[in-house]
Amino acid sequence: MADLIASDALLTEEQNQTLRLLLNMIIPPDAERGMPGAAELDFMGYVFEFANDRIEHIKRELDSLNKSSRRQYTVTFPQLDDNDREALVKRLYSTRRQFARNIEVQIMFCYYQDDKVLKALGKEARPPFPKGNEVLRGDLSLLDPVRQRPKLYRE
Amino acid sequence: MAEDIADILIIGAGASSAAAAWSLADTRMRIICLEQGDWMNPSEYPSNSKQWEVLRQVDYNQSPNIRKRETDYPINEEDSAVSIANFNGVGGGTILYSAHFPRLKPSDFRVKSMDGVADDWPIDYKTLDPYFAQNDRNMGVSGLAGDPAIPWHEPPLPPIPIGRMGEAMGRGLNKLGWHWWPSDAAIISEDYEGRGKCLNLGPCNSGCAQGAKSSVDVAYWPVNQRLGVELRTRCRVSQILVDDNDMATGVLYFDENGVEHLQRAEIVIMACNGVGTPRLLLNSPSAGFPDGLANRSGLVGKNLMFHPIGFVEGYLDQPLDSHLGPQGTCILSQEFYETDPARDFVRGYSLQIVRGQPPASIAVSGTQRGDIPWGARHHEAYQKYVGRSVMMAVMCEDLPELCNTVTLDPELTDSNGIPAPKITYRFSENSKRMLQHGLQKGTEAMEAAGAFKVYTMNQVRDTGWHLMGTARMGTDPENSVVNEWGRSHDVKNLFIIDGSIFVTCGAVNPTTTIQALALYVADSIKKNLANLFD
Repeated sequence: MADLIASDALLTEEQNQTLRLLLNMIIPPDAERGMPGAAELDFMGYVFEFANDRIEHIKRELDSLNKSSRRQYTVTFPQLDDNDREALVKRLYSTRRQFARNIEVQIMFCYYQDDKVLKALGKEARPPFPKGNEVLRGDLSLLDPVRQRPKLYRE
Repeated sequence: MAEDIADILIIGAGASSAAAAWSLADTRMRIICLEQGDWMNPSEYPSNSKQWEVLRQVDYNQSPNIRKRETDYPINEEDSAVSIANFNGVGGGTILYSAHFPRLKPSDFRVKSMDGVADDWPIDYKTLDPYFAQNDRNMGVSGLAGDPAIPWHEPPLPPIPIGRMGEAMGRGLNKLGWHWWPSDAAIISEDYEGRGKCLNLGPCNSGCAQGAKSSVDVAYWPVNQRLGVELRTRCRVSQILVDDNDMATGVLYFDENGVEHLQRAEIVIMACNGVGTPRLLLNSPSAGFPDGLANRSGLVGKNLMFHPIGFVEGYLDQPLDSHLGPQGTCILSQEFYETDPARDFVRGYSLQIVRGQPPASIAVSGTQRGDIPWGARHHEAYQKYVGRSVMMAVMCEDLPELCNTVTLDPELTDSNGIPAPKITYRFSENSKRMLQHGLQKGTEAMEAAGAFKVYTMNQVRDTGWHLMGTARMGTDPENSVVNEWGRSHDVKNLFIIDGSIFVTCGAVNPTTTIQALALYVADSIKKNLANLFD
């Protein structure tokens, strides 16, 4: 609970709203596949716990997005309608190489290690140890042509 | 009170140290090993957590400059095209290594004679062969006998599983008529010597929670301690001392509280890796050795070799579960290992097919490359890539060059004020041409296996895994730092047993050869005890 309170307080209300909208534009929900949208996850809780050094970068990226929104539309990103938000993100994504790079990287790590997501992908939400994984031993008769070759090394 | 004098003092508790201590223990001499790091706690390794992909990025990062543990020392890499990987702790670099265990080949010891470049080693493959075999048994090595690319040897355990990915790549390589073979791996495929077999956790390179990866903290040190070897952790050696007769008398070291101690010894053995060993020698000047201990040849810290590395990553149009299984090993092709005069470079390289990227990492690289887009198509695109990635390392032979060096940084120090190492390194033209060839051949292999997308990564910086050549062995004191059995030419009771003593480096991971050399040097010490310092 302490972490939750701390992570909630990491962003301003405007940053928080901007983040939630952006996250679902990066990974939207997909009802057909049973996949949650990225905004459904406790992203900042994850960042607080596992990528603390990225928090300031993430804040700057959110502020930069709002600045671009104000410059182009005179309102903040959350105040835009869906079409304008889509157009703005599309433009920034194609013109700025580093646009929202920290948010993008961290949401991928957060999303694809999340229990809900792993279950939706048909995977067990567990650490690798102690259960481990089954890996096919492999058909070593595939080596027959290699075995028939003369020695390949020089004496 | 009698002075505390060790018969043998070993600096460092990594791969070479563990092997040498094991061998020397049967002399019943008093052996002390000083290690600057701690014992590892496998329950803290990232694979105990669901978030292992992110947890490995800092605390278990291969770079001491990122990891920044209390036990790490910083390294100045500003003038280096490659950044250093290491680990300080009981086990040393084996804590994070991939455990890929291919041996050097006979021709690797005779590079000058066979190909007219670099220098020959003063020993040959046959000399090391029994030590390779002994070390395989001690470590617990899995593999398959009969590889036509290496002299016959029989690993004690059956090969680790190659999985669907290994099969797919093997079929592709068969189409091309190229060599491939399941990798020898220091990972136990069956229960062995009280250790549980590999569970295919995946991230070997951030420590093995199961203990199936043969890092020497589990494979050697418990045995060594039972044999009477004393291992002291959090002891950071700052200097080796010598007397007026050019004999080492012991070392100065700092304990974890920063208190300096003197440990006397009759024999000092350095096992601090190809960066740590020259660092310590250069930081041990004296009246007789103003340019650094055992450095009358001027070669301490020179001839630094890595293995220049590029990657080919392919995505196959079939589910492979390629992220499962020991991450750093699967199969390797040595079709282009030996020199071919028809090529525009000398010597050669290995194509090491390792496992694919894990699930979250696939999403990160896929979005950054534009393969996995933002928005509605994200989920569909992710499914196209996850579990289908194949990573191939093009591992080239480096050649020794005087311009590639380890020196002492004039300003940067560790937490005890010991000067940090400074690395100066650039890729040679030969390496660049070799890498280019390897990336092209790796791409052909991926396409033959049916890859629908292939990426190449040239001259990858974060690959300074193998640190070699900075205190080379040889018979001529003018042209080498240690003799043909690891003893310093200048200081007769000082030995070096880590990758520093490599004359050339072949094109394979060096740990098995480092350990075979350590066993060979230890055996040489035992055989020459009567006149060891002559």
